[in-house]
Amino acid sequence: MKGAILKIENSIEKTIIEFLKKGLDKKLFDALLIPVKVPAGDSYAWVLVQDKALLEDANPLPPVMSVQGAKALSSITRRGKSNKKIAAIMRPCEIRASIELSKLQQIDLENICLVSIDCPGALPLKDYLEDTKKGIDTFKKVIKEWGNESVRPICQMCDKSVGLSIQSDLHIGILGAKNNEIYLIPSSQKGKSILEEIGIPAEESTDNWEKKTKEFVETRKKNRKKAQSTLSEKVMGLDNLLETFSNCINCHNCQSVCPICYCRQCYFESEKMKLSSDDYLIRAESKGILRFLPDTLLFHIGRMTHMSLSCVGCGACEDACPMSIKVAQIFSMVGDKSQKVFNYTPGKSIEEQLPLKVYEEDEFHEVEKP
Amino acid sequence: MSKVLRISKGAEQGVQELLKFLLESGKVKGVLTLTKINNSGAVDYSLITNSEMLKDTLPLFPLMPANAGKLLSRLTLKSALAEPIAVVVKPCELRAFIELVKREQGSLENFLFISSTCDGVYPLEISSNGEVAKKLSKYWDAVKKGDIAPDIRPTCSCCEHFLPYNADITIALIGENIDKECAVFLTTEKGKKSVEGMKGQLVEGELKTQEVKNLLNKREANKKKLFDDPALMQDGLSGLIETFGRCIGCHGCSRVCPICYCTLCTFDSKDYENEPSTYETELKKRGGMRVPPNTILYHIGRLTHIGISCVGCGMCTDVCPVDIPLSTIFLKVGGEVQQTFNYIPGKSVEEKVPLTIFEKEELTEVED
Repeated sequence: MKGAILKIENSIEKTIIEFLKKGLDKKLFDALLIPVKVPAGDSYAWVLVQDKALLEDANPLPPVMSVQGAKALSSITRRGKSNKKIAAIMRPCEIRASIELSKLQQIDLENICLVSIDCPGALPLKDYLEDTKKGIDTFKKVIKEWGNESVRPICQMCDKSVGLSIQSDLHIGILGAKNNEIYLIPSSQKGKSILEEIGIPAEESTDNWEKKTKEFVETRKKNRKKAQSTLSEKVMGLDNLLETFSNCINCHNCQSVCPICYCRQCYFESEKMKLSSDDYLIRAESKGILRFLPDTLLFHIGRMTHMSLSCVGCGACEDACPMSIKVAQIFSMVGDKSQKVFNYTPGKSIEEQLPLKVYEEDEFHEVEKP
Repeated sequence: MSKVLRISKGAEQGVQELLKFLLESGKVKGVLTLTKINNSGAVDYSLITNSEMLKDTLPLFPLMPANAGKLLSRLTLKSALAEPIAVVVKPCELRAFIELVKREQGSLENFLFISSTCDGVYPLEISSNGEVAKKLSKYWDAVKKGDIAPDIRPTCSCCEHFLPYNADITIALIGENIDKECAVFLTTEKGKKSVEGMKGQLVEGELKTQEVKNLLNKREANKKKLFDDPALMQDGLSGLIETFGRCIGCHGCSRVCPICYCTLCTFDSKDYENEPSTYETELKKRGGMRVPPNTILYHIGRLTHIGISCVGCGMCTDVCPVDIPLSTIFLKVGGEVQQTFNYIPGKSVEEKVPLTIFEKEELTEVED
């Protein structure tokens, strides 16, 4: 794998932005989709930027993932392709979610250049908001040391946040780069020609990046295995599930921030789930007691069934849960299992069809047995 | 003065007795009240038809996992209750339900409303850490003294409507000797009838005690402090941008809001989805735009839609993942709208929602 090398000036973030500005100048793209600090300075929002002056507060790798990038991209291209060429700078899980959404026809990737970046994880939104100054410092340390302790639990066990597996057009490599350098690694023809046009063709070796990211992925894989085995003991089985979701207040924040849950109206909020008063009473009478709001667990299991094959483990759900339920950790664990059954990795390839869309005459004979 | 049934048991136990009596005497078919739903402290509303299940109820627990107004709407949206049900709800939950009924989102038929003088509820965040249990003794101390309970939801600490409207039965808590006695005020004929045959001392009593009046004063002072705090929100567009800039667009505030009853919020509807060309036009005009767009429009829109009926229950603040003080803002702005129309949401069933009536002569000041 070959890449280009950029010298860091000021900071990694500024260097990347300067590079992107060159792309704008050369009309390689018309606009950028990039996180920008909000005016109050306490968070980041996705901004579609054409005017370079607006990039002053942009940050290609902000400390938090306030809104999943795929959701932002979907908001622009859900109704059709963008006529403007847009470079979307995202975390790897946002790239993967974008690919899933394009397969679900909620994103049109034509004219979109996906730019990914090695990601050490994001800070929990709550921790960050408690003290944003401290959060920024903590995250600086995270990028420097690639340590685990401050990032979200779901990020601590993410094994797809760096390295070769990321299916963007252009990848920004930080790991394994020399102190004052970053890598630009093209992973498609689009990415390759961007580098050529800017005059930094991908001719340098990226061996060190490949080596370091591989090691990093291995560590994360171990974390994942360990974390999931601890978690599964706590949540497996109906009783444990009931216990886990007993604090759920049915706000459905998890669903509304999930990039994969794209339905305009969730089935579980639809008229179909509303019963007559008699029906509710009958349900209550069968056991003498009915939790009301009803169907809390059904919602989670239902959502799991609907989206776990495409769950990219981005953690948006957990950040948005007001009751601190480990939604992302549970959903990505179940996702791992259902994805394995179909040998499917969400966001890995744009060509690979969603398993539920493919009919195979010969499969799953094991479930046919009585 | 109204009739009071004095039960010589602690308040919570007294309400449990009352519910047991209602269920077992067949006066109601079911009971909806807060219930312990597991052993690690989770509390949620439950619909109970078997009186044996009442042992796990916590009718007066200072928590609002969901605004019960929303739940009663869900229960009666498709059909009114065919048989009577007793519900134990907080005053603002009952007010919310009245507002929903006025909007044809439920039916009052066959409900027996039990409420209490309310000293507020704790933020939900605390309940997920199991912290509520630790705070209970301090809470009940405050109730007995008629003080503002510490650490409760901000909008509870400034709520002036803690004496329930439209309840058939009101449990007096503020300033009462709640450890030893449960004072069941029978505020309607229905309420009186429902306890006929129940053990206890039937006397005359006054719900609006000096303690209640004192608490109202404390709440009013607190409200002023809370609303006048410059940190709450600055005026104008830049103030809105400062306040709502960190909103992540989850719209959880609208989903837990008892007044926001739309199955599909207009701001989540197709009307607010843009063609890619819209973004191009905006880019041309402004050089850049936030995506997804309409962050502030959503909040202003919701304010416009529900401000007149906002009961300040505080669900929206609790559910906000980025800690925007939504309920305080909504109550402040909504309160002003309500004042303009001289309307207290949930106070009267008959009084129409102002926006549904046309008056030829009104608000002439805006014509200037």
